[in-house]
Order: sequence, then structure tokens, then C-alpha cells
Amino acid sequence: VVTGVGVVCPYGVGLDRLQAGMLAGKCCLAPTKDVYPGFEGSTAQVCGLPLPGKGAGSKYSRSDRLAMAAAQDAVRDFDCESVAFREGGVFMASTVAGLSEIDPEIAMDPAAWYRRGGLERAASYPAAHVADAVGEHLGVRGPRCAISAACASSAMAIALAANMLLDGAARMMLAGGSDALCPFTLSGFSSLQALDPDPCRPFDRNRKGLNLGEGAAVLVLETLDAAMARNAHMLAVLRGWAMSNDAFHTTAPQQQGNGLADCMRVAMEMAEASGDEIGYVNAHGTGTPLNDVAEANAYETTFRGRKRPIPVSSTKSYFGHCLGAAGALEAAITILAVRCGALLPTLRLTDPIESSSVSWLRGEVRRDALPLAMSVSAGFGGSNTALIFGDARFGNSGSGNGRS
Amino acid sequence: MTSNLAAITGIGSVSPYGQLAGLIPQCDLEPESITAWTTAGLRRAFLAKPFRPASVVPGLKTRRLDRLSAWALVASSLAIQDAGIDLSQVDHSRVAVVFGTGFGCAELTEAFYQSAAANGWSGTDPSPFPEGLANAPAGHVALWHGLRGPNITVGNKGFAGESALIQAASLLRHGQADLAIVLAGDTLTRAVYEWYEGAGLLSPDCYNLEPLPEGGGFMPSEGVAAFVLEPAGRREVRAYANVVSGRWAAGGKPVETIRQMLGGSVPSLTICAGNGAPCAASSTVALAREISRSSATIVPAQAVAGGLADAGAFLHLILALSGRPRSGRALLLGTSGDSGFAALLLELP
Repeated sequence: VVTGVGVVCPYGVGLDRLQAGMLAGKCCLAPTKDVYPGFEGSTAQVCGLPLPGKGAGSKYSRSDRLAMAAAQDAVRDFDCESVAFREGGVFMASTVAGLSEIDPEIAMDPAAWYRRGGLERAASYPAAHVADAVGEHLGVRGPRCAISAACASSAMAIALAANMLLDGAARMMLAGGSDALCPFTLSGFSSLQALDPDPCRPFDRNRKGLNLGEGAAVLVLETLDAAMARNAHMLAVLRGWAMSNDAFHTTAPQQQGNGLADCMRVAMEMAEASGDEIGYVNAHGTGTPLNDVAEANAYETTFRGRKRPIPVSSTKSYFGHCLGAAGALEAAITILAVRCGALLPTLRLTDPIESSSVSWLRGEVRRDALPLAMSVSAGFGGSNTALIFGDARFGNSGSGNGRS
Repeated sequence: MTSNLAAITGIGSVSPYGQLAGLIPQCDLEPESITAWTTAGLRRAFLAKPFRPASVVPGLKTRRLDRLSAWALVASSLAIQDAGIDLSQVDHSRVAVVFGTGFGCAELTEAFYQSAAANGWSGTDPSPFPEGLANAPAGHVALWHGLRGPNITVGNKGFAGESALIQAASLLRHGQADLAIVLAGDTLTRAVYEWYEGAGLLSPDCYNLEPLPEGGGFMPSEGVAAFVLEPAGRREVRAYANVVSGRWAAGGKPVETIRQMLGGSVPSLTICAGNGAPCAASSTVALAREISRSSATIVPAQAVAGGLADAGAFLHLILALSGRPRSGRALLLGTSGDSGFAALLLELP
């Protein structure tokens, strides 16, 4: 079960800020050149927040600090002196990690750059540093690791953390992702010509690409028994999860979306849920020409035969693609959907891709009671992850093979 | 008849010992002088010798890939061959790939920074960007072999290999895969080597041809090792070892946790992993002594595998198995300087 959700995003810190901003339909995307001169397009940044771990000589990268703030927000109701907490695990995803702290000069003469103060900054380069930063900040000393699956990373971190609970390796797992906006990724996606110069339009026929954002989200996962034993407030139930790979191309998704469809099917089997029982899908929905077609095809395969088209939206239209943090942030948004029955629309979706099995959410927020909702993620390298959340108040916390 | 145990039925490696399927013949290796970049005086490491991947795996195209991806492709192919698996007879959607690495594709990440330094951020070369992602090697292994199951890359300070093996065994146990290709590895680049140097982590032997008695630090290494992991007893094949259980943690009480995992049994063999620095090696031996009976054999950390820092566990295990240990229960044990540990309980047939 999910007993805590911590979020740091352009709206601020906390699930309440995220909910208020999104329900108001506020778009956080702004011209990139305002923050990074020389870069075109739109991005969304976390501004003006007192992130922990700052200061001269800090060993923490911006991704570390975003993660630490999100994790701190997630555990605010937990007894941080308890054994379950101290022996808990931390699975964190990041694609940027400490790359934001490294200058191009490192490539010309690494030793000289290290002597000029880069040694400590470069120590934050491994993705594992983010998990270590969270663990050290909160005093959580159980199993820690970094999960890398490009843009599916943090959804996968949540799935693998759930496996750890099933294995009895910990009673509490912090799982999520964090990624900072930085020139490395702005330049990389720009060189691939994957960026939309304007605010992105996922699933629109006239979409041109993605926008980058930054943020972090961390879920507190516990077994049902552990959560009940400490009388924890249950926010949602993770009913099913699955991971797959397209085995098709390094950067392009398989156009029929077969890998993603397989992933959703397996997650639904684990949740013992039919297509009709899934009330909403929070899509990966990057806004790139190839991703959105493949994804629409995957929904067509998965939800064909459903009584009514499946409601789908991409919330990357609000604050961009947060890369390694995207899956966890979208898991948080999916949990909000099942908790308050609010199905958020995709912003700027005026001329959607045709699909007979999908009801593209656009315009106003739709209200509907949701027993189950799914969040899907995909990434370079062909990785896919699907997570299915249920509302704990619907009395489904004990079903689904006793999963966490 | 199947069980909860996961069997290692195939091994492949690309390392300073060469490109090998199965165990590694016993031999002593000398570190080599670094020539890939200009160094101020002698700099040595255990280096994987250059080779053409297509000469080992016909048809393999690796020109644009990071060496880590190329080596992962070769090591995985050798492991599958060693396991005697015909992939055309396997449901590809049920095969997982799990890769453990400390630094990921450092070579192409550095190449991307080089293009930024030369041309500015607006003129970077696009090709190293996606290929420099840490999960690129696992993605290429899936792509080459057509494996559509879970595809996971894990990083872990000190214990990336152990974490990968534990996660892979978990996937099999929960029915999320029928077979897993599990890999661990890192490459040595100039930025990595000079970071070790700047942090004072290197052995004096890196700078001298004659070993110095005072020791300290470690000799860096590079390579990728791959295991084929499948439920024990599913096929009638030789298993190098069965993974019984595993635990790792960033701190806490290692002795208590490991004893709990052992459930009262005491392994007859402890294989020390972890990085090759003397302080880490001695803390691992001390922990092994505390857990094992005095009669248990303790295999100390090997320099070549220890140089692989976070990803050396697989090479430690292969080298120990290559030494023809007796059958029984064995513990693969690693510690990090700050009370972190990883322990895998194995059954040697």
C-alpha cells in the first residue's frame, strides 16, 4: 500500500500544491532562454524553494536535493525513529543525477577540472548517489539502489521496490525518482531534434515534440500488514505492476506499441482487473511524433472491446517531461485521480489522434469515481512500465494476491 | 521439478582475462600501462584487451556503441552459448535483462561533453547522447537477442552486481520472468581513472612497475561479466551455483542480518567481494570470520575483480568458482567502507 507521497515540482512542494495547480489548469512551461540563455523552446523549472543540502562545498547535486526534499515530504507522517523506517529501503531513479554539476571542461583535462573544485561535484555523477543522498538525509539504512531505465526509471523503481516488499527484504520502501533540468539534457534532446519550440501538445495531430521539466516524487510503500500494524493512513493500493521491453530500437518505440500493450496486460493480470475496470490511464504522452502514435496503438490493443473508450491524458502538458522523475510524478498524479476522482485533461489538445478505443481527456476536468487507474511509462532502450493503483477506500486493499 | 532457487547455468565475460564462455582458466595477470590517453608518467590498470566484437559474435555491429554496451552484448552471447540455450525455443517476452553498473556508459558521456566543449551546448553531436545512458547496454542486449521481458539497470555504491543478481532472482521467484540474463560491469575511462587518482583511492602500484610493500588503494580494472539465471531444476543442465537468497543494506547490523538470512546454517566457503582497496578487503574478511566457523574457507578479494569497484562481484564469483571449490553452501560477501554490505547465499552443486 502507498502510505506517503512526496512531491517537488514547479508548483511547489507537496501533493496539495500539485493537486491545486493541476486542477486549476495552470501550465508551468516558460521560455527556456529565461533560465538557460542560448536554449530555445519551453521548460518548467522548480524555482525559489528551500531545498535541503545546499551550501558552499555541498556534495549534493540538484537532483539529490530535489529527491531529498520529496522524500522528506513523503515521510512526514512516519515515525522516523522506528525500526521499520531505519531498516527501510530506498530505490531512486535518475537519468541526470550529478551530470548537472559537471562542466564540459572535464572532457578536455579531467585532472585539472578536478583540481579546480570538480572532484566533489563529480562524486555525485553515479545515479546511485541520489538514493544515497535520500538515505543519508533521512537515516534510512536498508537496501538502496539506483534504477536506470531512461524515462521509465522511476515507475520501474516503484515496481521493483514492491518486489522487495514481497521478498521481505524490508517493511518500508521509499521509491521514486528525481531529475534536475540541466544543459546536458537540454542539449541532448535538442541535438536529437526532439524538443517542441512551443509548449508541447501530447496526442495532438500537430504535436512537434517534448518539453523538459524537473522535479522529484517519492512514494512510501509498505506491506498491508506493516501499514495496518502502525495504523498508517493509506493513500492508495498498488494493485499491479509490470515491466517489459520493446526490443525494437534504441530510441524509437515499436510503432504498434506491442511492448507497452504487453506490459499493460501483465499489470492488469496481476491486479486481476479487466479493461473495463481501469477507469483512467495517465499516459507517458511525451508529445513526440513517434511516441504518441505507438502509445495510442498500445491503448487500442489493450482496451479494444471495452464497453466505453478508456479515458487517457498526458500530464506532461502541465510541467514538461521530468525524465527519470516522470514515472513517479505521474504515479502521484494517478493516486490523486483515484483519491479525488478528478481526471485531468491534456492541455492544448485540440485535434487528437484518432482512436476508437480511447477517450482523450481535454477541456474541463472530468469527475468520475475510479476504483482503479493506471500510469504507464516508456523510455529509450525500449523499456516500459505499468503501475495500477486502487483507492484504499474502495475496499480493495486486501485483494490482488496480497500484493503490497 | 523446480524450486525457489535460481541457478546460474551460463557464464560469459569480457575482462582483462579475455572474452570467455564459462569459467576463467587460472592464471596470474599483470596490470598494463595505460596508452588510451596521455598520462603524466606511468599509469597502470587491469585493462580488457581491445578486440573486434564481431569476431566473437558474428554479425554484431558495435561501431557507435559505448564499449560497455559492446562488451555486454559479447558477454551475454557467451553466457547464453555456455548455458546451451536455444533462444528460438524460448518465449522472449519472459526473458529479463538485469544489468548492474557503477558508472554506466562513461565513455560516450565523456564524448558528449567533449562535443559540448568543442562546439558549445548548441553544437553537440547527437549520437553519444542516447548511447551514453546507463541503461543503453541492457537495451542493446534486449535488442540483439530479441528479449522483451523486464529490462532493468541498477546502480549501487559498491554492490551493483549483487543488487542485479538479487533483483533478477526476485523476478524469477515472482513469476515475472522465466529466464534472466544478469550482467555487471564498468569501463575505465580517463575521467574515471583521474577521479580515482584525485580522490587518493589508487594503489601505489598504479605508478610503479615493482609492487610496493606498503600497499593501500586499489588497481582499477574493467570488464563485463554475464550470468544466465533460471529456476533451478527446470532443465537438466549443469549449474555453476544456485542462488538461495540475498540481502544488502547501506548500514545497520550486517552480522545480525546475514545470520538471519542464513537461518542457522553456516557456509563452508566465503567468497570476499567488494572493491580491492585493502581497508575494504580487510573489513570483508573480518565480517566473514565473524559469520563463519573457524573451519570455513575464506577466499580473499581478487585484485582484478576488486578493481571493478561497484561491479566486481560477478568476476569475484567466477574466479572463485574457477578455483574448483568444494560443494556445499557458500557466501558471496562484500562490504563498503561505511558499514554497507551485500551478501548472497549460494549452493554449489
